[in-house]
Amino acid sequence: MIEVDHVSKHYGAVRAVDDVSCRLGAGEIVGFLGPNGAGKSTLLKMMCTWLPPTAGRITVDGHDTVREPLAVRRTLGYLTEHNALYDGMRVDRFLRFCGRTRGLSGSRLAERLDWAVQACTLQPVLGKRVHQCSKGFRQRIGVAAALLHDPKVILLDEPTHGLDPLQVVAFRDFIRGLRPGRAILFSSHILNEVVTISDRVLMMNNGMLLADVPVPELQQRAAERGTDVERVILDIVTAATPEPVAALAGAAR
Amino acid sequence: MSVANRLSSGQFLAGVRAVAAREVGAAFDGAIAYVYVIAFVVLSNSIFMNDFFLSGRAEMRGYFELMPLLLAFFLPAVTMRLLAEERRQRTLEMLLTLPLVPLQVVLGKYAAALLLLLLFMAGSLPVVVMLCVLGDPDPGLIVSGYLGLFLLGAMFLAFGLFLSSLVQDQIVAFVTSTLLGFAFVLTGNDRVVAVLDGLWPAAGLGTLLYEGFSIAPHYQAFVGGVVSLPALLYFGLFSALFLWLCALVLQRHRA
Repeated sequence: MIEVDHVSKHYGAVRAVDDVSCRLGAGEIVGFLGPNGAGKSTLLKMMCTWLPPTAGRITVDGHDTVREPLAVRRTLGYLTEHNALYDGMRVDRFLRFCGRTRGLSGSRLAERLDWAVQACTLQPVLGKRVHQCSKGFRQRIGVAAALLHDPKVILLDEPTHGLDPLQVVAFRDFIRGLRPGRAILFSSHILNEVVTISDRVLMMNNGMLLADVPVPELQQRAAERGTDVERVILDIVTAATPEPVAALAGAAR
Repeated sequence: MSVANRLSSGQFLAGVRAVAAREVGAAFDGAIAYVYVIAFVVLSNSIFMNDFFLSGRAEMRGYFELMPLLLAFFLPAVTMRLLAEERRQRTLEMLLTLPLVPLQVVLGKYAAALLLLLLFMAGSLPVVVMLCVLGDPDPGLIVSGYLGLFLLGAMFLAFGLFLSSLVQDQIVAFVTSTLLGFAFVLTGNDRVVAVLDGLWPAAGLGTLLYEGFSIAPHYQAFVGGVVSLPALLYFGLFSALFLWLCALVLQRHRA
């Protein structure tokens, strides 16, 4: 569903993403792991057509992100890094606006709105303005807006940011429930969260993809060495580049 | 282009409508739009009424002649937040990663601003009724004057929107739009033309700007009851140019 083929993004001399290749299939949940500034968000922004790659090619559900951006944007649901929402708008109106821009109308729009509100438990804030909502609710509003049109590909940039522990657990179950037929890619810098939700982990740092490892393999390695998965991940990253250890170790704690 | 990447006219209009409806809702959800409209209507009508009682003629020429300077100030206040705020609050990324093309976003916001302009203009309708009751005004002059006023406002909104797309700060968008609006208006003022001509007589800068840049000759044609093709083209092409530039800025913003 997503194919990233030797993709780079340069800002002058800065290589935000450097020759990254990876694939994501339907029914897969993949976690993107790396410290702040690793290049995760830049890669997600290229996948959702917000940024064009400097080199390489990305296809989403067979559509090229540069040549067919509209087709890509119709296919995917995207939660932005900062989850910027229209603060002055009422939550129900904001979701309706997102639905309409995605071509939903009439009973289909009403049906999808009902689903998104139930799924993200937004009933208590529907009549409130976005700026009156807590950080957790804001995050769920962003997720609801991204899923409103039942997308095949879901990109979530730091989706659990701002959620309390109970909400994080509920979010994991929710994401797992979305798995059938969809490709889900989410970024985080929290090791435990990524390992718990994902089937596979992509590790990035300094714009480079350091490793692409299935979670069961990580768990097996951890069991063999009598340590935890987080330590195995840190070792993989350390072997690839010594610099990021401190940053990732901070994230592990 | 693949079928999946195509945008039918129906889909295009639906996207424009969705953006426009959001903008209108945002404007009227708070007090901003009401304050703008009331302030504009009170100010424009009271200045005109003063002029009307002094001249004692049942015509709207004075109202239409007053409008360019007032709109040059009031319309940037409408457009300043339209895109600058999206950039500052980082909602532009959310908006442009929805299945919308930049032109849909620009036209949606423009349509919402035009609605506000129509409300500004509708605020003067009691003046028309009053003139009809008190005298016998020429309806042709009033209709062409309103048409000119609408086209003038539409052009001001187009460059206001364009300038709003270039910056993150609403105040900067307001100030630059107001200055450009005043430049369009004042280059049609006889004294300004004479001063500019006097600065460099060989170039005839004032006359050059009056004929090629200023709104005055085109707008005055409408106020005088003449609906001419050059005037329609002037306002239409300038508006289209600024809207196209605005869509281009949004497109480039992705890179």
